Amino acid sequence: MRDYVISPPTQPAIPVVGGGWFPVRRIFCIGQNYLADVKELIGDHVKETEDEAKKAIPVVFTKPADSICLGGNIPLPLSTDNLHYEGELVVAMKSGGTNLSPSAAEEMIYGFAVGCDLTRRDLQEVAKELSGPWDMAKAIDNGAVVGGVMPEKEFWALEEARLMLSVNNDVKQEEDLKAMIKPVWNIISDISRYFEVKAGDLIFTGTPSGVGQLVPGDRVRIGINDLAPVEFWISEP
Amino acid sequence: MSDFVFAPPEQIVVPVAGGGLFPVRRIFCVGKNYADHVKEMGGDPKDVPPVFFTKPADAVHTGGKFNFPLATDNLHHEGEMVVALKSGGTHISEATAASHIFGYAAGCDLTRRDLQAAAKEKRGPWDTAKALDDGAVIGPITPASDIGVLDKGSISLSVNGETRQQSDLSLMIWSLPEIIARLSGLFELKAGDLIYTGTPEGVGALVVGDTCRIEVEGLSPLDFQVYERHG
Repeated sequence: MRDYVISPPTQPAIPVVGGGWFPVRRIFCIGQNYLADVKELIGDHVKETEDEAKKAIPVVFTKPADSICLGGNIPLPLSTDNLHYEGELVVAMKSGGTNLSPSAAEEMIYGFAVGCDLTRRDLQEVAKELSGPWDMAKAIDNGAVVGGVMPEKEFWALEEARLMLSVNNDVKQEEDLKAMIKPVWNIISDISRYFEVKAGDLIFTGTPSGVGQLVPGDRVRIGINDLAPVEFWISEP
Repeated sequence: MSDFVFAPPEQIVVPVAGGGLFPVRRIFCVGKNYADHVKEMGGDPKDVPPVFFTKPADAVHTGGKFNFPLATDNLHHEGEMVVALKSGGTHISEATAASHIFGYAAGCDLTRRDLQAAAKEKRGPWDTAKALDDGAVIGPITPASDIGVLDKGSISLSVNGETRQQSDLSLMIWSLPEIIARLSGLFELKAGDLIYTGTPEGVGALVVGDTCRIEVEGLSPLDFQVYERHG
């Protein structure tokens, strides 16, 4: 037992489909990985062709490991009048390294999960306006909603999969995962040029078009084929 | 919940001066909190308020041998005073903020300045610039019970014995209680949180071979040496 001066925090973890817990080290997120979503967020300013978008420096941001939320009741986060959902495929890593090739990265995937990147869009707009950091918009408490991790071998049909997010049973986001500008192994490879990827890392792989606001009372469901679905609802703060 | 599918990462800790280990939960940082640093970065402190950003908890590096980071040609030092919290909450008042402080340390917010410039240019996130591995360098934590509230005193950073940054904690735009109060309006603060309180003017590049020292009056100094990266 180490000589702690205060109680240490609990290790953040998410359940594995079939049993056990996946311990979370870091959470990386990729922005602007579906071309339609890029256009939606920056409107007329988009000039990138799909080829140019593939070559660009990736938009990488992070969330704290303990911002993991397994769904259920989520009180409206502090300090926002415009909370947005962003349904995403999440990749869980069993190992890693630096400067990984896409094929090496593929071997290091533990499994996949459904996730929701919750965003204080009003604070993100201020950050963009001032060329400031995004963390006040993105690194929010309970802001990394994620379902159970399915081990990789049991989810072989990634290329055929389709993400669907509904709010109060209205479908808001619906897209094939093959519409991603960069596939998951290229995303991992990109991140490993800037950070050492390690076991326990989660990677949110970007959201398709159709993002929008959540208010107290809203109930969200996200599914990707036979991955464990995510369900949560927003309550008054 | 000990049924992990592989070994979880080790709890990140910072040594406490006088004994014991401080377990780290999150790392928050304040940017643009000294007027003369805002000016040297091309801003006007009257126009731009300070900002908060984060680093991963396991970016903690406790000094000594430091390997030059990936993906940068312009690694910058930002000497700072760091606050460690023993408790927290939301909407903490400035009047009660000090009661949540466990202690203080000298720290260095390492920054990939080239990637930060690219991020600002594209109005993108700062994380590739700020959330780098080993980018939260920190010295031993001195308990607040030994020194009281640290709201003034000199802060300095030297490279190879030459002073590069020199200021006083009293020149922070957001005071320590104000930082804690404002931050707790955005995030629930908890025991184990570290807050980097911003850097004064004089930031600059570090290269392989440099020895960097950060001193804050009343605290243990922080020293690290930059080594070439292998792999």
